[in-house]
Amino acid sequence: MSETTTVEAFGDGFISALCPELMLFAGLLLLIIVPNLGRGTFRIRGTQIRVPWLLGGSRFKITSDPRLPAWIASITLGSAFLNVVYIFSQGLERVVIVSESGKELLLVNGFSRVFEMIFFGALALAAFSSMNRLQVKGIGAHVSEHELYNNRRQADFYILMVTCALGMSVVALAQDLFVLFIGLELASFSTYVLVAFLKESKVGVESGMKYFIVGSVASGVGLYGLSMLYLWAGSLQFSVLSVAFAESGTTALPLIGIGFVLVGFGFKVSAAPFHFAAPDAYAGAISPVAGVLATASKAMGMLGLVRMLLIVAAPESSDGSAVWLACLGAMAAITMTWGNLAALGSDNPKRMLAYSSVAHAGYMLAALTAVGAWNWDAAVSGDAGAAAVAVMTALLFHLVVLVAFKLGAFLVLSILESEGGASRLSSLGGLAKREPLLAVAMFIFMISLAGVPPMAGFLSKLLVIMGIVRIAVGDMGAEIADGGVFVLADMHWVWWLAFLMVINSAISVFYYLRVVVVMFFDEPEEGREGPLPSGWQVRLAILACVLTTVFVGIAGDALIRICEMAAQSLNYGW
Amino acid sequence: MQDWISMPLVGFPLVASIVLLAFVSNADDAMRKRLSNPIRMATLIFSLVMLVITTGLFFQYFGSLSWEGISFNSYNYINRYNWIESLGIHWTVGLDALSFPMVWLTTFLLPVTIIATWNEKNGALYFPIVLAMGGALIGVFVALDLFMFYVFWELTLIPMFFLILKWGGKDRKYASQKFFIYTFTASVIMLLGLITLYFFQDPVNPLQYSGSVTGRTFDIGEITQHALNENGKGWYLGANIQKILFVMLMLGFLVKLPAVPFHTWLPDAHVQAPTGGSMLLAGVMLKMGAYGMFRLPISLFPHALQYFQLVLMAIGMVSLVWGAVVCLGQTNLKKMVAYSSVSHMGVILIGIATMQPMGWAAALFMMFAHGIISPMLFAVCGAFKHHYHSMEIGAMRGMAKHSPWLATSMMFAWMASLGLPLLAGFVAELMMLIALWYFLAAEGWSVFWMVGPALVLAITAGYYLWSMQRTIFEGGDETQPPESLHGEPVPDITNPEKLAMIILAVFTIVFGVMPWIALDMMHDWTAEIFKGLILPILGGFNGGA
Repeated sequence: MSETTTVEAFGDGFISALCPELMLFAGLLLLIIVPNLGRGTFRIRGTQIRVPWLLGGSRFKITSDPRLPAWIASITLGSAFLNVVYIFSQGLERVVIVSESGKELLLVNGFSRVFEMIFFGALALAAFSSMNRLQVKGIGAHVSEHELYNNRRQADFYILMVTCALGMSVVALAQDLFVLFIGLELASFSTYVLVAFLKESKVGVESGMKYFIVGSVASGVGLYGLSMLYLWAGSLQFSVLSVAFAESGTTALPLIGIGFVLVGFGFKVSAAPFHFAAPDAYAGAISPVAGVLATASKAMGMLGLVRMLLIVAAPESSDGSAVWLACLGAMAAITMTWGNLAALGSDNPKRMLAYSSVAHAGYMLAALTAVGAWNWDAAVSGDAGAAAVAVMTALLFHLVVLVAFKLGAFLVLSILESEGGASRLSSLGGLAKREPLLAVAMFIFMISLAGVPPMAGFLSKLLVIMGIVRIAVGDMGAEIADGGVFVLADMHWVWWLAFLMVINSAISVFYYLRVVVVMFFDEPEEGREGPLPSGWQVRLAILACVLTTVFVGIAGDALIRICEMAAQSLNYGW
Repeated sequence: MQDWISMPLVGFPLVASIVLLAFVSNADDAMRKRLSNPIRMATLIFSLVMLVITTGLFFQYFGSLSWEGISFNSYNYINRYNWIESLGIHWTVGLDALSFPMVWLTTFLLPVTIIATWNEKNGALYFPIVLAMGGALIGVFVALDLFMFYVFWELTLIPMFFLILKWGGKDRKYASQKFFIYTFTASVIMLLGLITLYFFQDPVNPLQYSGSVTGRTFDIGEITQHALNENGKGWYLGANIQKILFVMLMLGFLVKLPAVPFHTWLPDAHVQAPTGGSMLLAGVMLKMGAYGMFRLPISLFPHALQYFQLVLMAIGMVSLVWGAVVCLGQTNLKKMVAYSSVSHMGVILIGIATMQPMGWAAALFMMFAHGIISPMLFAVCGAFKHHYHSMEIGAMRGMAKHSPWLATSMMFAWMASLGLPLLAGFVAELMMLIALWYFLAAEGWSVFWMVGPALVLAITAGYYLWSMQRTIFEGGDETQPPESLHGEPVPDITNPEKLAMIILAVFTIVFGVMPWIALDMMHDWTAEIFKGLILPILGGFNGGA
């Protein structure tokens, strides 16, 4: 573990530590300024001299190009992503950014870097691939390319993308619940607008409203919880809260407060029973945005849960498990089962993917539950820290690779969407005949989601199950070597969550395969026999997703090590 | 040692087929038609090269390693490469007398399948998928790492899914999904069992090849050796856990085998699958189940095997009887053959459940013999379907007259499957009956239990002869061509089909007359595994030789 450096805001080392965020900030400014540059002049008073000051007036050819904001956003997000990757290759450091009074505000370490990688990667892919896919006339209408491009709202869309990334990375860095909440709201408000961006279509507005209302209720409840925590501990610093919780955490006030905060994050990860808005939001938003909701936004919620549960509420109950264990375990079980059963019955591929994302949230919650059981019986659970790191590694790995195949699946749908809707399963019909490689890509995403080897989704699911089983079994191997006799009941009950995950994977194969069957077996819908809409950007993004999915599935060692490093750098309470 | 397995037998067919598929999938229809023949030739040559390699391995041409007397848990041509080092995952390949016959069988069936389905439609895509199937199947048999084993175990589903979905019969959509979901469900439960087994290792005293993060290994050889030592002292992992893990692993393998009551995916998959898919499915894929049983649950949990011996025996008996009785009622030729596979897999399970060296050798030889005979059965069914556009047994009469080649092949395959002496299937069935006799004698049970299996052999002869009588012979001079031909002249099978039938028939005779070619190594291996694994538990021999 590297040394911790303490840095004041704008002090030495501030820029190098927050380089990706500052890049985003610069990109944001560019996005606001550059599309407005034109031949505007300024007349010096009393003279005839006109000084060109570039703002306003008729715009230059390059600044009026509707693709320009997309390029700026993609380059900004992409270079922020590459910057994070570069930092990983250079070795990680641990930098705390403090306020003037010495309070910890932001913490840069391996853990936050992995999340930055997820956020920037997902948003860069989404921005790049929506470059010429952004609809102006709503789902279902055939629009000309000219109409697609000549659209002033393009700039707004990409500004929101970048602010979303900025907010998410603040969540990743925050060391103070209030800072975290600010980041969360910045990201949330961006996504509310992004979901409702199809204002011309009924479904876009409706889903945006639904998502906004439910989301703000969840945020409000979370904020109320924050105020209760503040009332109780007198501070919202993670360090202060965790110490206070260790002393008197099992009293009613902090427990209720944390419960309320969890509602806010539970909405973000679309955990049951807070997932009701998710399918509507995914179905109404354009597909790249839905993909962002299912990957980056979900990672953000998961991050909040990890911070809340593992750092603030880490202390153990009497049996050595976290106090929230049973509650979260039940939530995980319900979420994964509900998501899968609901996905079975949905004919809309985007809703199906939304429910599958609920199911995946359940798997991740199961992993989180297992971390909470880290020290359930000191005699057999062995090295508690190592086991918990293994589960966290799995959780991080899952969130990273989810970007590749979940977002990839949404991007494939986005191609179909821009030729007139992807709201029925049959709109995927005959994809194998129309564009075989695209169908193969979708097939790879589907089996990866289902967890079939040798795709990345299999490896991530395997890691999660392995993490859970490791916690449940502990170090019984050593005991057995000494002739100890064990029965099934000696394993921790989180083993049954692994069992439920396995059963759920089997259920999920059914609806993923249905997509494959429709693509490879059924005939195209009427009027859809021709070639698909062009657009090399989205295809390039899909190719990147396919390559990542397959490559990580076959050779995931490097990514596992990165995630392990990140998991170790998360400052556990023990 | 030179690695003759990883690249030539596993990596190459997979990579070659992916390259071919990527190349073909972007071509238009005319191009595909033109590419069909070169690709067919290329896959045939590839598979023949693989066959040459495995045959060379058998004749100890590549490094003189004997196949006989390989002791339990030691492997020929073992090679190990780092894969996911942090978790203790290696790419480990190796062969023993259990896996080698299966690998040879796969490489033998690949060219035969390609020849038998020489004129399959959309060949530019079909033949690479068949090749990929072969690579994935060999991967299952050579894998000596639990992770690698599971990866290839699932990988076999993908090409087979597409074979059924794209080239299958009328209900292929339903059948392919059912096939995939059914076997996937069973194998994820198996996966959980494997992971639980993995974490029951002791990280304080790690086994060799353990991962840097977890301190445990996926290496089958290491785990088996450890289990062997522990089982000598008592129940490895304790009685309770061993039983649970045994059941979880067995579940995955029983579904694949398939045994009654987990067999319902098989008739659907077989009836809808194209000829090539059926040949590989029945020939090799079903054996993955029996292979996995020997490799994992039996080797690791002999105590639990003894505990569940009677349950397995019962499942085997029920499969044997149920499969045969259901066959009697079938009017669809392919469905009848599919149920006969269930019945024969029951023989394997009974052989395992006897816990006699003879019974296990019988099971191994049955895997091998059925792997040659059942592709011939399905090749006949495929030819039937292809030329007569019907699978109904009652659709025609007097086939011997107008299609002598097909009639002869059918008769030969049917006879081989019902266990005619001097053909491969007979050896295995006879050995199974003897082993069952030993088992009954050892347990002190009544000899009348023998009546069941013996009677089933008679039923098997019954349904085969009956179906032959109805299609081939009945009718005399007034042959009745199938209505589905609409009065067109009745064709006989094509030359490639004839060639495939002859090859399969020749090998059926070869292994029927000279079973020791394969049987010697199997027998040695079962004797070794008994000496090392079962005898210490039983505390003495309770049966015959």
